[in-house]
Parts: sequence; structure tokens; C-alpha cells
Amino acid sequence: MRFQDAARDARAVVYAGIQADPQVARTAALLADATPAQRLLARAVMNGETSEPDGWRVMFPALFGAAVGDAVGATAHAEAILEASLAVADRGEQVRSQVRGALVEEITAQLLARRVGAAAVRRERRILFDGVPAEIHPYDVTVEREGAPEAYDCKWGARGINADVLYQLDDARTHAADDEERLSVALVVFDARRSCDVRLAHQTAPHDETRLVTLETLDELAGPPR
Amino acid sequence: MSSPTVSDAIDRAVEAYLVLGGLGEEIEDEWSYVTDLSEAWRARFDEVATSRGTDAVTPETDAAIDRAIDEIGRIEDPHRAIDWLSTFPQIVLLALGERP
Repeated sequence: MRFQDAARDARAVVYAGIQADPQVARTAALLADATPAQRLLARAVMNGETSEPDGWRVMFPALFGAAVGDAVGATAHAEAILEASLAVADRGEQVRSQVRGALVEEITAQLLARRVGAAAVRRERRILFDGVPAEIHPYDVTVEREGAPEAYDCKWGARGINADVLYQLDDARTHAADDEERLSVALVVFDARRSCDVRLAHQTAPHDETRLVTLETLDELAGPPR
Repeated sequence: MSSPTVSDAIDRAVEAYLVLGGLGEEIEDEWSYVTDLSEAWRARFDEVATSRGTDAVTPETDAAIDRAIDEIGRIEDPHRAIDWLSTFPQIVLLALGERP
């Protein structure tokens, strides 16, 4: 089993530009340190209709309400997330969709780097096995460590879960097992567990051995592997 | 006039949520997912209404839910509606002090 950079086709080049956008890294850094409620704010604003910040402040009293105060900088962090999320929402439907996808990948990469170090975390990599045709699509994020490789696919919402991504993750895991390697595979979804469970219930593709990381459990990426 | 209760707030949220679900159902390939998703979140609303339905909600919470209802009322794109079928209930539950 080995990792390889994905081919740089036209789509990859365009998407690489989105991934390299400083706004993506900056917003991801805010969200990597966010609470689940703050992440929900970002999810709402980035796919919202309202561009007026006060409307969002009213909608999230747990983040901006009178009882919150700012003893530990919570309101300041929520304000920073609100501002960054509005900037994403302001970029037009197609670009904001790409930015949202890149954001989930970047948050995943940043959280994983806290556990394994940035050098082990790679993006847009294929996983090759001897005698097995290579998948066309690369994995969004990989952890490349001897004896403990990991592969992640990242989705903005539960609706992004589909048969292709589930098969790709499970196929990699089983091919690795055939090579006597243990490859941990996971799907990171910037959405609620409940919605993901509904989506997964509609899927017949194998996913019992694919870990699901959701809006509520993102911080587990920075913790010990499960 | 008595204060609005959790049940009152959830009733208003569910009414708006059903309209949002109708918009999402316009995507025929996702009809089954949309109906199951709506059902799952309405079941969660029912749990909260059953356990805390008679509790009063604060004006701040009431305003938050009104604002969330207003937000989904602005959605015209059925794809965005499907995304908000997940987002909206989380916002309402958070405003009510509940976990999704």
C-alpha cells in the first residue's frame, strides 16, 4: 500500500486555488477552536440568505445573548466566526459551495495535525495497492504514518454522503487489510449526527467499519485514534 | 397574556419546517431522504415538547426561533432547503437549550 499525489487535472488546479485561499485557512483555524454551537452558526451563515449580522446574533442567543457575557472571550470568538462566515456567504453560490467543501477539509487537516503533527497530514492523495486499479478520485485528507495510516473524506452536509464515497473508503480499508495493513477510514461531515444517520440508513454501500465524525464530534480528530 | 411555552415555540417551528420540507421535496431524487430527515427531526422536537412542553420560553429564545423561521421562509432554492432541513432544527433546539 502506498500514497501518491493526485493527478493535476483542470478541476484539481481550480480547486487547489480555492484550498489555498487565505480565507479558507483563517476561517478553518477559527472553526477548529470552536464549540459545536459556534460551528452550527458557521454552517447556518455560510448557507444562509441573510447578510445582516444582527439577524444571526438574534438567532443564536446561546452565543450572543445577554447571559453569555465575555469572561472567556466566547463572544469575541463567535463574532469572529460570524464575520468570517458572512465573508464566505458573500462570495456567490458556486464559490461559496467550493469554499465550504475546502473548509471542512482544512478543519479536518488542522485538527488531525494536533494529534499526529502537520508533516504526517496530506491532502488530495490517492492510495495505491499492487494489482488493484487505482481510484480516480483522491482522498481529501490522509494521515501518512508507518503502521497507522488513515484516510478521510470530508463533506459539508449529510446529503453529501453517497455510495461512491462509502465504497471508496471501504474498498481502501479492505485492500489494505489484504496487504496486512490496518487503514483507518473515516467520513467527516459538517452536519448533525442525526441527519447523517438518516442519510446512511438510505445507503446500501458498506460503512460499518467507516468512522463517522460529525459536527458534534469534530474535536475527536485531535484526540487519540479510535 | 401568559408567556409562550416550549410547546408553543415548537409548534411554530414545526409549521415552518413542514413548508421547508415541501420545498425540499421538489428534488425528486431526494424525496425519500427529505421525508425521513424531516420525520427524524420532528421526532426530536416531539421529545422536547413531551419533556418540557409547559416550560415558559424567554423573549430572547422566542425571538431566536422567530428569526430562524424568518430565515427559512426566505429560501427559494430546494437544494438549499434540504441543507436547512438539517440546520434549522439544530438552531431551534440550541435556542431552547437542547442538544440536537
